[in-house]
Amino acid sequence: MVTMTENVEILQIKNLNLWYGETQALKNINMTFIDRQVTALIGPSGCGKSTLLRCLNRMNDIVNECRVDGTIDFNGKDILHNNTDPVEIRRKIGMVFQKPNPFPKTIFENVAYGPRVHGINERKELERIVEESLKHAALWDEVKDRLSESAMGLSGGQQQRLCIARTLAVEPEVILMDEPCSALDPIATSKIENLIDVLKQDYCVIIVTHNMQQASRVSDSTAFMYLGDLIEFAPTRQIFENPKQELTENYITGRFG
Amino acid sequence: MTEKFFDEINDLKSDVITFSWFAEQMLKNSIEALINLDKNLAKDVKKRKKELVQTSYQIEEKIFSIIALYQPVARDMRTVVCSLGVVNAAERIGTYGKDIANIVRDFPERPHIENLVSIPHMADLVIDIIGDTINSYELEDISLLAKLSERDDVVDSLKRSIFRECITYMMEDPRNIAICTHYVMIGRYLERSADHACRVAEKVHYMVTGERVEIK
Repeated sequence: MVTMTENVEILQIKNLNLWYGETQALKNINMTFIDRQVTALIGPSGCGKSTLLRCLNRMNDIVNECRVDGTIDFNGKDILHNNTDPVEIRRKIGMVFQKPNPFPKTIFENVAYGPRVHGINERKELERIVEESLKHAALWDEVKDRLSESAMGLSGGQQQRLCIARTLAVEPEVILMDEPCSALDPIATSKIENLIDVLKQDYCVIIVTHNMQQASRVSDSTAFMYLGDLIEFAPTRQIFENPKQELTENYITGRFG
Repeated sequence: MTEKFFDEINDLKSDVITFSWFAEQMLKNSIEALINLDKNLAKDVKKRKKELVQTSYQIEEKIFSIIALYQPVARDMRTVVCSLGVVNAAERIGTYGKDIANIVRDFPERPHIENLVSIPHMADLVIDIIGDTINSYELEDISLLAKLSERDDVVDSLKRSIFRECITYMMEDPRNIAICTHYVMIGRYLERSADHACRVAEKVHYMVTGERVEIK
């Protein structure tokens, strides 16, 4: 019998250190992300959680004076290795940002953009991908009659789901989300959270959030970071019910500093 | 905002502690009323039942609003959950005090049989268990609960021995039946009170350590 619950390790970070100039922003991080699970990264501003997220698809390449060592194993490849193609990595490991950032194009073109870049030009195939991606991002019913309208006319929450659809269109394996709801109202937030719950059936989702209730609601595992160190990484329920580290306890209960 | 939350948690704890001693006092006084057949004291205990129920509602309301407004996590969450357990158990213990006071009110105009069998001794043990659990909640110190399971076993066997003893007195003289039936009931109330204290002890253990244990 095939068991669906088997944990597949999709990303393994080993001895990851990162400096911005003289400042060390990540200190010897070791952690493993499981496929088809949601992992939340929490911690105060400047703790390194967004930096860590950006390492996972080589977004730090474009930051001047940023130096990294260590390895991030993804499907047997080291993401950080010079020979690894960052464009290919970013296709496999998609990113959704804090502020929705649709292209100033139609809804259809926003979603079709990625597949086109990767060489898909046949109209029928693009239509199929756009429909599937929008359905998967729980946006299809709201936009199916206005695919040729500008994406800029969508609400913030719809724009964010469009960005998720755009990420899904290139068939990633991992979806990174950097505070995807911080610019959204509670209803739009709730839709994104529901969507995350659905997405994890097919993808590994890693989310950075400042909202601790959000971390506790959506994630299976939670990592707490502080000043570049990974302090505690455990099942979410344990982190919020009985954290083992005093720093974690102090942070999540608001007794910090 | 967080300062306000910590104040609310501290207020809650102090309310729960005061309430628990209020309930313990009802049980303690009901036993005193029983031993001395003091109907005035029994009446007084009975009167306190209303305040017991009202206060338990008020504390519950406070707990609900803390959960709704602050969504506590980790140790704060465990403290709030434990406090709810303490309040419910204390309310039950106070109610057993009221039940014993009711028995004293209806007690036949006759002296006690055999110095109330083991009831005074059993009551001392139960009241000590209750006191230690309240203290462990207040001080967040589980060392006070170390031998609780054994102490509860003694209470259980006392309940059984009161029952057996009472049966023999009832068989000896049917006039003992009314009083002995009361003794058996009181033995049960005391045993239940100790059980409630043990459930509280489990919650205090969870509050302090985050681990669930079963006492007995």
